[in-house]
Amino acid sequence: MMTEGQHLSAVAGTGGGNLPRQPKDGVSRQPRVSLRDIRKNFGSHQALRGVDLDIYPGECLGLVGDNAAGKSTLTKIISGTYIPDGGSIAIDGQEVRLNGPADARKRNIEMVFQDLSLCDHIDVVGNLFLGRELTKGPFLDRPRMVAEARSMLDALEIRIPRLGAKVEKLSGGQRQAIAIARAASFNPKVLIMDEPTSALAVAEVEAVLSLINRVKARGVSVILITHRLQDLFRACDRIAVMYEGTKVAERDIGNTDLQDLVQLIVGGQKH
Amino acid sequence: MTAYTERAAGSPVADFLSEHAQVLSIAVFFFACLIFFSVTTDTFLTLGNILNVIRQAAPILVVAVAMTLVIITGGIDLSVGSQVALVNAVAAMILAMGYPWPVVVVGMLAFGALLGMAQGWFVAYQGIPAFIVTLAGLSILRGFALYLTQGYSIPIKDVPGFFAIGRGELLSIPVPALIALGVALLGYGVIAYTKYGRQVVAVGSNLEAARRVGMPSKWVVASVYMVSGIASALAGLLIAARLGSGSSNAAVGFELQVIAAVVLGGTSLMGGRGSILGTMLGTLTIAVIGNGLILMHISPFFTQIVTGAIILVAIWLNTKIFTTNFRFGGKKVRG
Repeated sequence: MMTEGQHLSAVAGTGGGNLPRQPKDGVSRQPRVSLRDIRKNFGSHQALRGVDLDIYPGECLGLVGDNAAGKSTLTKIISGTYIPDGGSIAIDGQEVRLNGPADARKRNIEMVFQDLSLCDHIDVVGNLFLGRELTKGPFLDRPRMVAEARSMLDALEIRIPRLGAKVEKLSGGQRQAIAIARAASFNPKVLIMDEPTSALAVAEVEAVLSLINRVKARGVSVILITHRLQDLFRACDRIAVMYEGTKVAERDIGNTDLQDLVQLIVGGQKH
Repeated sequence: MTAYTERAAGSPVADFLSEHAQVLSIAVFFFACLIFFSVTTDTFLTLGNILNVIRQAAPILVVAVAMTLVIITGGIDLSVGSQVALVNAVAAMILAMGYPWPVVVVGMLAFGALLGMAQGWFVAYQGIPAFIVTLAGLSILRGFALYLTQGYSIPIKDVPGFFAIGRGELLSIPVPALIALGVALLGYGVIAYTKYGRQVVAVGSNLEAARRVGMPSKWVVASVYMVSGIASALAGLLIAARLGSGSSNAAVGFELQVIAAVVLGGTSLMGGRGSILGTMLGTLTIAVIGNGLILMHISPFFTQIVTGAIILVAIWLNTKIFTTNFRFGGKKVRG
């Protein structure tokens, strides 16, 4: 599945040599999302200092880096939660300016936030359909939402007995599962997961990894942020390493190992 | 905490009790007050007195329903009393000019919406805390009312259609009480069954989450102040119609009664959780206490002390005894 332009293109996949960091041409495959020179400041703090990143359809990109390396900020820019100060975003080759989370959602970009972004006082069904409630006129169509919520959760093998329970009453793992179900169930094209497995037990982590592999097979682009490096080798095709607001390295999964990654993350060696 | 623990399914009764603990506790307290005053006074449990209580509680209930929405979003509206007074005075002045009363009613409701929207704009779009905006509103709007009337009471004459709103009876139930009940039912329906109600709760529960899922969160925040403005205008009209005059000194301390009624009903000042049924019971409880203490011939000055103390104790019990609803840590994200 590898084809070449002038450069080796950063194609998701199995083999391939060390990847050039900036595949400039889309000769072989068009990236689903293409970020160029993304910059973001929070006051005087430079959160992102010019990041280039491509994500292709049907691949999972692992995003790793030390704390405060800019991983979450970068993904929040893709999901429209933050507006970048500089740089460009292209989706399927079209340059876009995301003007907010609703805009990104309309373009089928979904995100599981690190803080989960659930409303504690709303029940499970309400949270799954938050922001896209099914309605009959001005009224919520609750029976239909309950039925669809049940099938959404069943499809992800998430067991929550009472769909009418307020989310604040659920365990950390159940809450995380709901956040994942919400992002994964509405036909995303890009699925961003920021630490989706931090509160999950072993079996649930397996379920999330198999979910990633399933949606990948459907052509969804997945971005996975995690500190569980061993998970990356189970689901990702490519790994990008961030350091202090820049992307310092990109590796095909076949060409790296745990040792290498750890060194890239903590060493801050430029490549 | 990591696993999806398979809990034994709790009994539905226990679930019901824990989810509605706040409303149940205020209901118990309300009925305790009813029994207490029925026993200690001869006149409390007479039809005339009961009708009087609900007639007087009507304006409070109308605004308390709107205030429930405001507080669910995590905000507060301290200006409702001043809005009532301003609408009350302006309505009397315009009626005195001879405009037909239905026009005045519609115009005043629109005026209230405008006042509320102006405050909501500062709160939602300019990010100024609701407490500050509406505290300023409390002063400004009362000031306007005083300035326009120069402190005089303005009589309303010969508008029987308008008076019917405040004094009329339908099937021997006072019209204001019916209007208030209608408002409460509307509020209940909106919160429980509509998309807008869901947005209000979501914004109060987690503003940033609501924004991230693409809800028009700023508009929702602003809109609840508009609703509160409309409700205040309606209350102002009810009071003007009942008293037959408009006064800039109407509804002094009204905002405190309204907020007390809402909080007594179990609505959380932290936002996210609220109940219209609780607000109804809270309003009636405050009205009954005020009425009952007067009937017991307790000094009206003392009544304020007792009312305040009872509210404090009731809310204290509400938050400490029913710990199932105790919140761990504020996780409100203001953005």
